[in-house]
Amino acid sequence: MQLLQDLLIILLAAWMCIDQNGLVIVSYFPVIVGFITGLIMGDITTAMYIAGTFELMQLGVANLGGSSMPNYGLATIIGAFLAIRTGTGVKTGIAVGLPVGMLAIQLDVLIKIINQFIQRRMERLNHEHKWKAMLRQPWYGVGFFGLETGIPTAILVFLGPTAVKEILKWLPAWFTNGLTIAGGLLPVVGVAMLLHYMPTKKFFTFLVIGFVLTAYLKVPILGLALIGFACAYYYFNSEMKKADEKQEVKAAGATNDQGDDYDE
Amino acid sequence: MMSENENKTVITKHDLRKMGVRWCFMGVNAFNYETQEGPGYTYAVAPALRKIYPNDDDYEQAIANHLNYFNTTTAMANILMGATTAMEEKEGTKSLDAVQALKTSLMGPLAGIGDTLIWVLWPTIIGSISGYMAVKGNPLGAIIWFLCNVAFFFGKVWLTSLGYFSGTKLITSLGERISIFTESASIMGLTVVGALVASVVKVTTPITFKFGAVTMGLQTGILDKIMPALLPVLLTWVVYKLIGNKKWTMNRIILLLIVLAMVCSFFNILK
Repeated sequence: MQLLQDLLIILLAAWMCIDQNGLVIVSYFPVIVGFITGLIMGDITTAMYIAGTFELMQLGVANLGGSSMPNYGLATIIGAFLAIRTGTGVKTGIAVGLPVGMLAIQLDVLIKIINQFIQRRMERLNHEHKWKAMLRQPWYGVGFFGLETGIPTAILVFLGPTAVKEILKWLPAWFTNGLTIAGGLLPVVGVAMLLHYMPTKKFFTFLVIGFVLTAYLKVPILGLALIGFACAYYYFNSEMKKADEKQEVKAAGATNDQGDDYDE
Repeated sequence: MMSENENKTVITKHDLRKMGVRWCFMGVNAFNYETQEGPGYTYAVAPALRKIYPNDDDYEQAIANHLNYFNTTTAMANILMGATTAMEEKEGTKSLDAVQALKTSLMGPLAGIGDTLIWVLWPTIIGSISGYMAVKGNPLGAIIWFLCNVAFFFGKVWLTSLGYFSGTKLITSLGERISIFTESASIMGLTVVGALVASVVKVTTPITFKFGAVTMGLQTGILDKIMPALLPVLLTWVVYKLIGNKKWTMNRIILLLIVLAMVCSFFNILK
């Protein structure tokens, strides 16, 4: 039973990386991989808690232009697996998951360098008119990206639980307590990142509205999202109307101008 | 089918669907630093190109053309490959320069729209909601997100046909409207972010003061009276400023927060 869980977790990690590069159905979104990890491990609540923490950290850290970013999906899988398997809870998830997610970026860069040979081979095989072989080449990339997350996961799945239990025995209470506090602080990273590159100054009003409704009035998140949607809907309609009017004025202006042009 | 009314069409709806699925799967899985998405794009369009170019030398030329540098948001590339396939089907090898020019000129703007909508706004809004539910142990948000992604997959495959039949006129004409849409989505996003500051950033202090016989907790007695979630707001502001500072990379900020948590745990300043 445990072995089956181990294998499923490794497969999930490998698939996550491949999926994130193309299909984007599971992708590296922590809550989604966390939910699947929870299903495999049979403890959805713990898995969701760790996944939620990483999800909130990831907000705003978008994977743009092929750049490499901390792999929070991998952090979630490993963190949730170890937390549930060892029964040591959230602090383990954060303490082990986060560094692995940050180290995985290095592997990502490495694979994108290695993949160079795919390009070279495809060029050569195209020149030699061996197209069947040419179309096999990208699959090496699929394999490598699967290994990018599959290998670190396999190592931690097989060696992690024992090591984690031993290490946690030696750690002082303030240290493990500190990790739990860190779990509460870390979502601030994603939140601040979002504020940094959303038009925060232009729409500061809505940030305050969201804060007040939650901090003072304790409106549940879905209700709050609906209020946000209502504001967005109103803004969209009124701006669209303005854009249409502008276009009509422009169109009208254009026909008038044409008349002038002929006179000249 | 519409396209069969014309004489020279060899590309069927099935070919377009197949192209879309091939791209959706391969995407950036063959990513390399030199040509980025070039190999993936080639992999996706190759079967359709083979039908367009029965002549081996023409086919080689067309493949070589697509093996060049290419990079944009994956979902947006679906539209583009529909459009380039339509061009190649019509004009054959004569179109290759135009195809390359179209790809190069549109991949930037398409990435601008696609990255904002697909990688920033949507994951922000659904991620905030599902992340907020998740830290309470509730997987509902995650399940909804998963189902949406399945629906998006079919949408992306459909975009290939859209690109084939309507070309890129669509994208250029949407221009201003897209930016209004983006701004509206930002409004919803910021409302949710405001809620996140108050709810998911957790900083509380166990420090207590003694005034003679009266004990008062710093958290409940003073901070909460000034404003609920005062410490989270301050922390958010500090990290926001740090991100604006070029010297502070993401990993450094994460490290700083962990060290801060350790120190505060040791001196019992935070709980």
